[in-house]
Amino acid sequence: MSSVPHDLVVGGHPHAHDDHAHHPKGIMRWITTTNHKDIGTLYLWFSFTMFLVGGVMALTIRSELFHPGLQIVDPEFFNSMTTLHGLIMIFGALMPGAVGFANWLIPMQIGAPDMAFARMNNWSFWLLPPAAIMLLLSLFVPGGAASGGWTMYPPLTVQSGMGMDLTIFAIHIMGASSIMGSINIVTTILNLRAPGMTLMKMPLFCWTWLITAYLLIAVMPVLAGAVTMLLTDRHFGTSFFNAAGGGDPVLFQHVFWFFGHPEVYIIILPAFGIISEIIPVFSRKPLFGYASMVYAVAAIAILSFLVWAHHMFTTGMPAASILFYMYATMLIAVPTGVKVFNWLATMWKGSISLEAPMLFALGFLFLFTTGGFTGLILAIQPIDIQFQDTYYVVAHFHYVMVAGTLFAFFGGVYYWLPKWTGHMYDEKVADWHFWLSFIFFNVAFFPMHFLGLAGMPRRIPDYAQQFTDWNMVSTVGAFGFGLSQLLLLYTVVKCIRGGAAAPAKPWEGGTTLEWTLPSPAPYHTFETPPVVK
Amino acid sequence: MDHEDPRRRAAIRRTGLLLLAIALLFFFGIIASRFIDSPLVSTGVIGGAVLLYLIVAIGRHLRK
Repeated sequence: MSSVPHDLVVGGHPHAHDDHAHHPKGIMRWITTTNHKDIGTLYLWFSFTMFLVGGVMALTIRSELFHPGLQIVDPEFFNSMTTLHGLIMIFGALMPGAVGFANWLIPMQIGAPDMAFARMNNWSFWLLPPAAIMLLLSLFVPGGAASGGWTMYPPLTVQSGMGMDLTIFAIHIMGASSIMGSINIVTTILNLRAPGMTLMKMPLFCWTWLITAYLLIAVMPVLAGAVTMLLTDRHFGTSFFNAAGGGDPVLFQHVFWFFGHPEVYIIILPAFGIISEIIPVFSRKPLFGYASMVYAVAAIAILSFLVWAHHMFTTGMPAASILFYMYATMLIAVPTGVKVFNWLATMWKGSISLEAPMLFALGFLFLFTTGGFTGLILAIQPIDIQFQDTYYVVAHFHYVMVAGTLFAFFGGVYYWLPKWTGHMYDEKVADWHFWLSFIFFNVAFFPMHFLGLAGMPRRIPDYAQQFTDWNMVSTVGAFGFGLSQLLLLYTVVKCIRGGAAAPAKPWEGGTTLEWTLPSPAPYHTFETPPVVK
Repeated sequence: MDHEDPRRRAAIRRTGLLLLAIALLFFFGIIASRFIDSPLVSTGVIGGAVLLYLIVAIGRHLRK
């Protein structure tokens, strides 16, 4: 709907109020809340906390790699750090972050009073902290935390210690949370849209989340099934993936990546939605090609199920399969290209202003496209054989995950912060946050392309002398990027505590329904639904 | 639109239960596929079912 401004007809009665006197106060408000805004806030803070925890793990990895040789941590702990960093960033930071945006925005953008299953929404969130604690506690059990990589490939994970069991349980719980959250989102969008809001009038953020939720319902049970089989292989004498008992370890890789590749799009599609909200507003133009954007998201989602084995080119497969997965992977560049083209066309001849949300959107466009291009290179099987498990792959997916999803989240936070808090954020500090993040991100991750091209393997705590210089640069960049995030924390806390009052519509180009509400958004909104013409 | 409308509540319950059933089917299906006939074929059937669900679920909304 970013392209279709709503002509709202709101009844002659208030459609929003702040009365929550009947709700518990203090900590009990947050534990028992069924309000989508409260739960969205909880998700976003949880995500940021996990982002810091995963970030500390990343800095531990980078500190060890600052210099060749083993100096700070022992190799087993280093492997646990790489494993937990991946799991925490994906399941603890990025996915809950996206769900936080969904909780805050979907009901307000479709004119619904809350999520369809409000109590289940509370339960979905409160499953996450115990799962995260379980994952972190695994560092202290005999044998240490899981250390076989976030992909959990057997046979290593069938043989490793108790930390792996805690990891499996944590994934089960986080998976259940995701499935419950997704069911809630699909049900809300399909049943609680305001009268007159057809699906093709919906804001693109809601569209990307509708499709993401369908993806999650499809793949999270598959991952849960795979790790359940892993668990029974470990403790109940089965041999699903244990070659010694007739099982097939490569089958785990197939099942894992059948989840794992769509998972990449589960993380990036909501980011596409956020960017599609920001760019038209700060270009002061409707989104170019709304319908083609929706079709592109649908095409990306469906194609994402047909390419999983490109993660497994080195396991060996028939030439016909290699060609299929190569070409199918390259095909994803077409709908992705449609989206990038439409974002650029939206900006074309627009009256662009460069507030922090737009800066992050532009940073996203530039860096995500770079990550997309290295993905195309990795899709070519003869090249992938050379780059498999090198730092080139690490650079590629960090350009997609960090500069893609995380930059979109940062842009989204600044974009909706006035609506969430009722105050304008400090633009100068936010701009500094962008520029420092942009520069240090590239300092940290661009050299990894060179390291990968030169053959430096990933997940190894020591390396040959010739890789030293770029590793030092990368470590400096990682610390700079990590410290820059304190500016985000400062800006958000400052904005919550006070600042210039935000009007209902702080961005002149905002056309979606949340901008019809006062800032901060009242506790209860759209109890009488708006009518969209 | 009345959010307390029993028909709407029933529709919400129906959508939720249908999606839950699909999730449970995929969870048990991927495990059961290891026991039925050739694992390659049965896993392929589950994979195809997931893909079909996705095409139908998303595709039916694109016309609206």
